[in-house]
Amino acid sequence: MSEPASTPAATATAAPPSWRARLFAPSRSPLWSAAFAVTLALLVCFLAILATGKDPVAGYGYLLQGALGGPRPFGETAIKAAVLMLTGLSVGVAFTVGLFNIGAEGQLIWGALAAAVAGRALVLPAPLAVPAALLCAALAGALWGLIPAWLKTARGVHEVISTILLNWIAIHLVHSWLVAGPLAIAATTNSDVSVAGTAPIRPEAELPRLLFNSRLDLGLPIALGLALCVGLFLSRTRRGFEWRAAGSNPEAARAQGVPVARCVAEAMALSGALSGVAGALLILGTEHRYPGVFRTGYGFDGIAVSLIGGGTAAGSVLAGFFFGAIRAGATRLQLVGIHPSFAELIQGLAVLLVAAPRLFHPLLARLRGNRVTLSRITPTLPQKDGP
Amino acid sequence: MNLLGNALLSLLEFAPPLVLAALGGVLSEKAGVVNIGLEGMMRFGAFFAVAVAIWTGSPWLGLVGGALAGAAAAGVHAVLSLRFQANQVVSGVALNLVALGLITFLLEVLFGSAGVSPPAPQLARGSFGLAAPTWIALALPFVFHWFLNHTATGLRIRAVGEKPRAAATLGVDVLRLRAFCVLGSGVLAGLGGGALSVGILGQFDARMPAGQGFMALAAMVFGRWTPLGAAGAAAFFALAEALQRQLGFALHAADLHLEGLFLALPYALTLLVLAVGSTRSRAPAADGVPYEAEGR
Repeated sequence: MSEPASTPAATATAAPPSWRARLFAPSRSPLWSAAFAVTLALLVCFLAILATGKDPVAGYGYLLQGALGGPRPFGETAIKAAVLMLTGLSVGVAFTVGLFNIGAEGQLIWGALAAAVAGRALVLPAPLAVPAALLCAALAGALWGLIPAWLKTARGVHEVISTILLNWIAIHLVHSWLVAGPLAIAATTNSDVSVAGTAPIRPEAELPRLLFNSRLDLGLPIALGLALCVGLFLSRTRRGFEWRAAGSNPEAARAQGVPVARCVAEAMALSGALSGVAGALLILGTEHRYPGVFRTGYGFDGIAVSLIGGGTAAGSVLAGFFFGAIRAGATRLQLVGIHPSFAELIQGLAVLLVAAPRLFHPLLARLRGNRVTLSRITPTLPQKDGP
Repeated sequence: MNLLGNALLSLLEFAPPLVLAALGGVLSEKAGVVNIGLEGMMRFGAFFAVAVAIWTGSPWLGLVGGALAGAAAAGVHAVLSLRFQANQVVSGVALNLVALGLITFLLEVLFGSAGVSPPAPQLARGSFGLAAPTWIALALPFVFHWFLNHTATGLRIRAVGEKPRAAATLGVDVLRLRAFCVLGSGVLAGLGGGALSVGILGQFDARMPAGQGFMALAAMVFGRWTPLGAAGAAAFFALAEALQRQLGFALHAADLHLEGLFLALPYALTLLVLAVGSTRSRAPAADGVPYEAEGR
């Protein structure tokens, strides 16, 4: 704020942009905000460990080792990253049509349940069993995602409220009823006592492992492939453009003949399907049944991933991988006496910092060599990138 | 009859956290600031109420500490969403995530356990075996209703939530008033969290508040963003849960695993009310809309 604008605006626009101006261009500021936020969050957590009298250098060393130090840690990172990428992608797709999908968690739960049931019930050869189960999961998630879309477009119910409610409906229905009662495997000896959790899926429906001595499975390639498809669809197709138009200005889009309500429904179906597939990866890849106690939180994490990734497909992949690595590495933090939930602290702080773009804007503007101009910044999500 | 009596006592015991948090939601959203962070604020309140109660030996000071912790968490929400104009939903979601990670971290650092805290001194129980939060939760909705509808400040709060710019032209400092309402919301949510930990359980559990903040949000919507409505809805939700617990004992419903249906019921009902009567049960007009003072 303090630096005066010594050069007139005319000469400033005429001069070729400096490397600084180009590197920290406004269009890239979401990326830079995210980078700053994550760095700052890591720094704060470093100091937090230091303040508790533990060794932060060793802690972060173990974190890195547990995330990327060899095929086994990498496998753990990949499992978590794939799920986070998909839920992040799910939230991001909803953002493009201007909806804030808090409901990824519920969509993921139905997807996981559908995958567990289909993986058990469908008798198919190995190359078909996995796609069939994934498809069922996508369908289940999509249906759950269509409810808030319909409530929004037909009944004017705000999607933040409806998706929060739908999350808890899904959690209670699946965890406290379906998986505990009707779908639970009954114990063989006494039919009164049923064990919570569904029966295991067929071996053909399990995701193939890709590496010996590692849990790395087909989940990561599936997530990356879906991210690529979604990214291309949003940026390169007519429909993707219409979605973005419906999201950035529904009135203008409607005036141009874009079927806004249909776009919202389609996008929410895709969003739900992506979360559903994320749930399926957890079941088909690692759990191999719907367990009685299934506390994921990956749906809520998807919001964090998407926000830090700037709502784009590529951003979700990067942020998903990063937080997957932190999650996987955090299990080793116990070696220095820190609970693995430390990963959630890093993630939460990063979102908190990235939540307010204006926090970083003065800094970015200074890096660009500009005066600070607060008024030019639009504070609202979702992030829209130009075509 | 005994069934109903037990359910009623159970309601008076378990409803206060939900009622207080729902009132917090009303206060914030009436002033135009969406508060998804109730869950996180309750978590802060629940933890620090226990921490302060253990540290000072007084559950009363614990309750105060919980309220202050809730206010501190709300302060973060206020700064981000009002000063830096962050998206209010994002800021609230971030607060919930931070509460989840930070409180677990602090639980381990302070008490050396990732599961539960040591038992804290509990609030004294008066007549009917009910503690102070119950009486607060019974009286506060009416006080709040009177405050919001029959005082000048209450009118200003409602104006700021409906038409902030019009209120500003009449000399109301919109951002300041909104900030106070968000802080007040944090006090109420923190108190609710404290009622949960120091009041009911007598210790902090790592899973607290286990979705109660979101249920309070549902109660606020169900109660159409009014203090009496929200408190009534919160009490109704708590009653449904209490009845379910009593019925569960009576009918051995646990064998049928129907508790999931009962637990999902409040949320489904809220959704139904929203879907059917969306025009009548509407939020304040400027709820969630960032406000920027002119001439900055």
